[in-house]
Amino acid sequence: MERSIQRVTVFFLALFLALGLYLTYVQFITGERLSAHALNRRNWEMAKTVPRGNILDREGKILAHSVPLSEKNMQYIRKYPAGDIAAPVTGFVSDKYGKAGVEDFFNQYLSGIDNPQYRLGPISSLWKRKGYNVVLSIDSGIQQAAYQALGSNRGAIIVMDPRTGKILAMVSKLTYDPNNIADNWSATVQDAGSPLLNRALQGLYPPGSAIKPLVAAAALEERVTDSQKIYKSPGYLKIGKYTLHEVNDKALGNMNLEKAIALSSNVAFGQIGLDLGSEKLGRYFEKFGFGLIPPLNFPVERGRMPQFNQLADGELAQTAIGQGELLVTPLDMALMVAAFANQGNIMKPMLVTSVNDDEGHTIKSFAPEVWLKPISSRTAETIKNMMGEVVEWGTGTAAGITGVRVAGKTGTAENPHGAPHAWFVGLAPMEKPEIIVVVIIENGGSGGGVAAPIARRVLQKAL
Amino acid sequence: MLVKDINQNRELELLILASIIAAVGFGVVAYLNMVKPMDVIIAILEFCGVFLALHWLMRVKGHAGDPLLLPIVGCLVAIGLVFIFRLRPNLLPYQLLWCAVGGLGFYIVTSLFRSPEQLQKYKYLSGVCGILLILSTVLFGVDIGGNKSWLIIGPLRFEPAEFAKILLVVFLAGYLVENRMLLATNTWRIGRFTLPHPLYLGPLIALWGIGLLLLVLEKDLGAALLYYGTFLSMLYIASGRKSYVAIGLAFIIAGGITSYYLFSHVRVRFDMWLDPWSDPDGRGYQIVQALFSLGTGGIFGTGLSLGRPDYIPAVHTDFIFAAIGEELGLAGTIAVLLLFVLFIHRGFRAALVTENQFCRLLAAGFSSLLALQTVVIIGGVTKFLPLTGITLPFISYGGSSMLSNFLILGLLHNISEKR
Repeated sequence: MERSIQRVTVFFLALFLALGLYLTYVQFITGERLSAHALNRRNWEMAKTVPRGNILDREGKILAHSVPLSEKNMQYIRKYPAGDIAAPVTGFVSDKYGKAGVEDFFNQYLSGIDNPQYRLGPISSLWKRKGYNVVLSIDSGIQQAAYQALGSNRGAIIVMDPRTGKILAMVSKLTYDPNNIADNWSATVQDAGSPLLNRALQGLYPPGSAIKPLVAAAALEERVTDSQKIYKSPGYLKIGKYTLHEVNDKALGNMNLEKAIALSSNVAFGQIGLDLGSEKLGRYFEKFGFGLIPPLNFPVERGRMPQFNQLADGELAQTAIGQGELLVTPLDMALMVAAFANQGNIMKPMLVTSVNDDEGHTIKSFAPEVWLKPISSRTAETIKNMMGEVVEWGTGTAAGITGVRVAGKTGTAENPHGAPHAWFVGLAPMEKPEIIVVVIIENGGSGGGVAAPIARRVLQKAL
Repeated sequence: MLVKDINQNRELELLILASIIAAVGFGVVAYLNMVKPMDVIIAILEFCGVFLALHWLMRVKGHAGDPLLLPIVGCLVAIGLVFIFRLRPNLLPYQLLWCAVGGLGFYIVTSLFRSPEQLQKYKYLSGVCGILLILSTVLFGVDIGGNKSWLIIGPLRFEPAEFAKILLVVFLAGYLVENRMLLATNTWRIGRFTLPHPLYLGPLIALWGIGLLLLVLEKDLGAALLYYGTFLSMLYIASGRKSYVAIGLAFIIAGGITSYYLFSHVRVRFDMWLDPWSDPDGRGYQIVQALFSLGTGGIFGTGLSLGRPDYIPAVHTDFIFAAIGEELGLAGTIAVLLLFVLFIHRGFRAALVTENQFCRLLAAGFSSLLALQTVVIIGGVTKFLPLTGITLPFISYGGSSMLSNFLILGLLHNISEKR
């Protein structure tokens, strides 16, 4: 009987050892995840009594902070000094309706759940609990200028630094005021203007002619065109049964690539699209990051690409002038322009630059990184100069600023919802680009007439 | 100095350690919850009084049991009392009372069965009483907290299953010791398999079949698993035959699969073990909350009274271990686990120390029972095993459980005495 008792003892001790190892796994390895889990009620409770960290712009200006409700109880309410101006960036936080924007995607820092000193057992009760501060790349001045420039239009503006990928302003209209979102919740949700949609990152639009610099770059890289090649436009291009028209069927006559961009010739770009072929055109869309989700820690919509291997010639020509099934976000367009502004390199888009504690110590910082390199720096330089001609004497003159050389491209995108969407994508200064601006006005009309002047006002503030 | 005196002094030193655990724990909880110091001092004195009185009584009456048993249980009871004070302060006086009643039970058992082998005479009486106790809950049982496992007699309410487990272990030890040679040698060959002879195994299977059936009728899954596991362990120890264990495990698996399809409550338990996150606000709520508790505790815990284990339903009974995990962290849960390991190790050691075969099997049976009970409930609340509602010995709130475990402790204490 001794031996079997010893065996049973060893069996039970092994069982306890397994249980101990499993407990270590649950409490040590998965502890942090369970502790920060969205369903963990401790975090909801803590959210009420622990002040969230501040959301700051790049100069330390407060975009969101927690203010004590009263002296007595430990309750806080969230205030957004910029109100609806910065709503697409800050988002909101509400017990009832959840979170959005930076409040949502950087919640683990803002809420203080992630602060490691709070996991030191009983000792952690010695600390005064407060969430970390999140510092954004947003410039409040530019943000406000862009908000005002957009006026009462529906649409979006993105301002970005092409050298770092930092987003300096991100405006979307219609929008909402995060200070009283809870009170206006049902009206906000039911509003046909979708105020909760961040159009800059999630709005899907046909790019129209604003896509032409990408097509031109692809054609130069693949040597299906050069600066000498002449395109003839009698005002239309017949492709089998399908006819592609210039704006107002205007016969633009003979032109090279530079003039074709400056005047935004649909006939020339339809022809370039056909010369490239669908396979190569599709490859360049991919190289520029269209159809990918840009690596921004934020809810970003993926652009919709046509099935390039199934495109008929008419559809191919349409895609080359930014129509057809192609749908892109304003962020996609900003990243496209970034390649031309930054010697063919697209930097990872960035909205949060660092996370700091209350004493200013950096907890986490984010460094600029190259995301894609779709084209050579030579091609990027060539296209940038051609975009300069657009603003110099072409369709985008309304974006011009005295004393600074601005480059850009207009777009007037046909769509099934009414008047065309007005686009302007641009960069400045030409010599050493520091600012990228993308403007889309939903159903605004002509890009050169409506979007370009708005872009100019934003650029004036940003430069 | 005699070995006996050294051991008794050691027991006293270790009991003082347990008292310090109780005093510090009570002090912290009282300080953080602004309880009147007097109430707490009385509680600490009550706890110390029970264990020091038992130590003194054992010393005066010349017992020389294992000096570690009482202090280990003292530590477990101290942790349990501190957590009940922290989780359900209004239940603390009752738990202190159960602790005192347990101490009294311990004293009576140690005095009455100074030679535990005399219990062997009552094995059939034990078996019958055990079955009757279980049967009584099927007929007169009252549903408190999901299981129809309570009996109410006048002002008393208790869980007969807690006492039936002792009686059944006594019966099994007696029966198996008498028939162990027959069980080990008389076999029944079917092809390549060597099976125990049905003549000797029959009565056992019949008895256990009835017991298990009753438990299934009561839906007390945890107790059924516990009884059956203890039965298998004792059968293996008595016969030394692995084939019994294999057959027994096959029975458990077959029974498990059958009950999965037959009983919805078993199905829910099993599904929520596999994936509680599929219904975190409904059927998986309790286990998900327990996991949040354990995870939030991390390595060092939130500190006594600084966590929120009150989000877990039944936290002061079945789920008390999760509360320990939240407020004392991994450090606390491993410490509690080690206390149980020590206790169970001392239990099996007592089985090896004694010369009497019946006592040997009795001690091994009780140790197996407590080991299984601990693993099943700790495993259940941590999602290591499917959840079955049983108490954590010496820690969970509850009078029946406290008293019955003290009775077991008393028997182990006497068996561990070298004579």
